[in-house]
Amino acid sequence: MSEVTTTTSYGVGIGWRPEIAGFVAGLPGLRFAEVVAESVHAHGDLPPGLPALLERGVTVVPHGVRLSLGGAEPVEAARLEHFAAVARRLNAPLVSEHIAFVRAGGVEAGHLLPLPRSHEAVDAVVANVKLVQSALDVPIALEPIAAVFDWPDDELDEAAFLTEILDRTGALLLLDVANVYANARNRGTDPLELLDRLPLDRVAYVHVAGGAEHDGIYHDTHTDAVPQPVLELITALCERHRPPALMLERDGDYPPAAALREELDAIAKAAGYPTVT
Amino acid sequence: MTAHPEVPGRLGNEANPAGVRDQNDTTPRPHERNGQFALRCGASSADWPPIQPGGRVESLAERQAGLVAALTAGARVPEGFDGRLVEIARVALLRKRAGEVAKQWPLLAASMRTEWMREFMDWAAARPTQGSLRDGWDLARDLAARGALPALAGEELATREATSHYDGHTAPRARRAPAVRRAAGTVVVQIAGIVRILRRA
Repeated sequence: MSEVTTTTSYGVGIGWRPEIAGFVAGLPGLRFAEVVAESVHAHGDLPPGLPALLERGVTVVPHGVRLSLGGAEPVEAARLEHFAAVARRLNAPLVSEHIAFVRAGGVEAGHLLPLPRSHEAVDAVVANVKLVQSALDVPIALEPIAAVFDWPDDELDEAAFLTEILDRTGALLLLDVANVYANARNRGTDPLELLDRLPLDRVAYVHVAGGAEHDGIYHDTHTDAVPQPVLELITALCERHRPPALMLERDGDYPPAAALREELDAIAKAAGYPTVT
Repeated sequence: MTAHPEVPGRLGNEANPAGVRDQNDTTPRPHERNGQFALRCGASSADWPPIQPGGRVESLAERQAGLVAALTAGARVPEGFDGRLVEIARVALLRKRAGEVAKQWPLLAASMRTEWMREFMDWAAARPTQGSLRDGWDLARDLAARGALPALAGEELATREATSHYDGHTAPRARRAPAVRRAAGTVVVQIAGIVRILRRA
């Protein structure tokens, strides 16, 4: 795929989940949301609440979690077909997935697992991303994950690993600032150093989420409040290059609506975008 | 990790101290032969990449499968990984699974109260996920078979059994024919998709 740049600015969005469908429907300024691609039927009814969002012109981006782009095996044809069909169904201007693998040897990990930052892994991701791109009519944005552990044989550092994948595929970047924060904190590195080395002009949108520390490890839980350092990272990112959209990911232990609104407002303030609440 | 971690049930993987190597062994490592050095090579990366019997370097597919087996099926943590961190990830994954199964099987989880997390994690530790619907189903059947399924969960299991056919190996399918099923003392009848509880435990 040739170079793709995003021009539309959506501001602050949110990850649509069935549990908070009513809350999301009640956000007057919302223009952007993301839905887990595997939770949407390719041809059957859309989840209740989603059609109304689409009708009022909210852009809904399908976010794949089970393609296993970093798997050593090619992406399964049925999964790819579903992913592409959902993108068409939602009339999405782009889609997203992870730089990770979720199964191997026929066994599901049940989670996004990190890749070795090796040339062999880059080749595997690039081959799969190209396969996915050939089935899509729209660009794909790739999200680096938060990892509790690293592989022992990294040949590249994170920035070089990501940049090589993006360069070779022409894909956009879905930057998760909570993942950047979690990885930097757990590895004892500087998150700003990573931001300075990433191609920020390729960021399609940004994920923001909360986490918590247990046993000395910061976990990107999506079930806790967004911590202040993550909000500060948003500001630092926007000072360098403001992304066209940033969205809150919350996946459980949903707080009262007022607390969710406060988080969305805090993201808007940190990024300098108008509030959507 | 998008999982809610608490105190790990088991700590460390003592069976496989990562990267232990005879100091006198001076055989060149594959990365030395290739002139490549790992950027993040801590003490644990000396044995990397792992070599199969016969001298073949493990493929990415094999190494990914080894890691998944360690995280989901009780296999040894592959050479070179930080065993403590992989264990933290393993426990976080199990907790996340327990939460997902509790969503699909609310009565099963609720009926075990404070024991749910421990019970599920013990059961799931060496069983890779088949999806939360099937995981909960398999666990409920196991508990029923050994007479340990609480009555409330029996109602949930009997209802599922009466409305869907599940062979234990593939995705459950909705039943077309009427069915009567019992679990933990509850008897459920399903006719044309309508469910009636005939007898409660």
